[in-house]
Amino acid sequence: VFHTTRPLHTTQQCLAPLPPLPEKGGEVRYGLIPEEFFQFFYPKTGVTGPYMFGTGLLLYFLSKEIYVINHETVAAACILSVIIYGVKKYGSDVAAFADKLNEEKVAKALAVKNDAIKDLEAAIEQEKKEQWRVEGRSYLFDAKRSNIAMLLETNYRERLLTVYNEVKKRLDYQVAMQNLKRQKEQDHMIQWVEKSVVQSITPQQQKESIAKCILDLKALSKSAQAAV
Amino acid sequence: MNLSFFDQFTSPCLMGIPLTLISLMFPPLLFPSPKNRWLTNRLSTLQSWLLHLITKQLMTPLNQKGHKWALILTSLMMLLLTINLLGLLPYTFTPTTQLSMNMALAFPLWLATLLTGLRNQPSASLGHLLPEGTPTPLIPALILIETISLLIRPLALGVRLTANLTAGHLLIQLISTATIALLPIIPSISILTTMILLLLTILEVAVAMIQAYVFVLLLSLYLQENI
Repeated sequence: VFHTTRPLHTTQQCLAPLPPLPEKGGEVRYGLIPEEFFQFFYPKTGVTGPYMFGTGLLLYFLSKEIYVINHETVAAACILSVIIYGVKKYGSDVAAFADKLNEEKVAKALAVKNDAIKDLEAAIEQEKKEQWRVEGRSYLFDAKRSNIAMLLETNYRERLLTVYNEVKKRLDYQVAMQNLKRQKEQDHMIQWVEKSVVQSITPQQQKESIAKCILDLKALSKSAQAAV
Repeated sequence: MNLSFFDQFTSPCLMGIPLTLISLMFPPLLFPSPKNRWLTNRLSTLQSWLLHLITKQLMTPLNQKGHKWALILTSLMMLLLTINLLGLLPYTFTPTTQLSMNMALAFPLWLATLLTGLRNQPSASLGHLLPEGTPTPLIPALILIETISLLIRPLALGVRLTANLTAGHLLIQLISTATIALLPIIPSISILTTMILLLLTILEVAVAMIQAYVFVLLLSLYLQENI
């Protein structure tokens, strides 16, 4: 720890509220001489007063050789012209740069504040939306409930249909069995009757029937001829 | 007062009281100290921007331990910069034209870097005496040469600053004397000489800033090798 770097005054000396500092410094003419100097001369000597005073002073110094013109004078003229040229040309740019640095500092802090405000506003919107959603919650539950009821009902009906179909299938089977049995019995009986009838036809009966048929046919042929 | 060419290089003295300390302490008074404000005026903003720029530039190549040197290097830079630039004004005394002052700055700081290196990492700092990739027969000669180069560093630092500033100031004096002497004889040549003087003044402004930067940069380089 360097004790040489310890700052001497860390707080302001007096805690009473101080008046704010002025926005701009005092007005200066020619970068050196305060405006009050000219105002001081104005009532007595007008506008040209201070200039006459300055010229007289300069000539006094030169003529009395209180200020001697030597090589330093020329060097002074050169360095002063360089300085004045530099200030006139780049002064406003440098001032704008300094202002920009300050602006960026302020803008960074403002950005933090604005971001915080934006985040909070978005959170408020979100919260309002959630509250609106809560209001609609009962409708949501009703819809879900009726949905489920419908599903249950459908399921129940489907199962009922299945049961009905199964039972019908079994009953149809029984009916078909009975029908089949009856059919078989009928067929069998018919066959048996036919067989016994055929067997019962004696040869005598057969001859008689054939003779009768021939007589019928002759009778018919006679009537038939007549029809043609 | 009739000035000779070397009156600007005499340490200021008032009735036998040496004013050297005042001439050294005056330039730091020109910097406004940072007040307890968040937004400062233009001068303070620019000053703190410049200080940040200098410190960042100097401290980027250094490791963590080298950052202890930030304060002295930055303040040295600001001191040299102000002293050099203020010395360009007429009738001012530039302390950095005195070899004694520059050696007093260069020697202890260089010695501090050397001793830091020798104390904390002796083999590494002695290893700097031999550049990489030298052919084997050259090694003894090169070590001698590098040792001499190492020991001459403080002299070089001090004399470089002194010579640059003294030569510049002397040239300004001589050319302005020529301008004044030629004025009644051949005014046109006098005007030519004035042009030369203007260019020289601009060069001197640049040299003042560059020499301050080079001094501090070389110190930081010596520090980089040794820390």
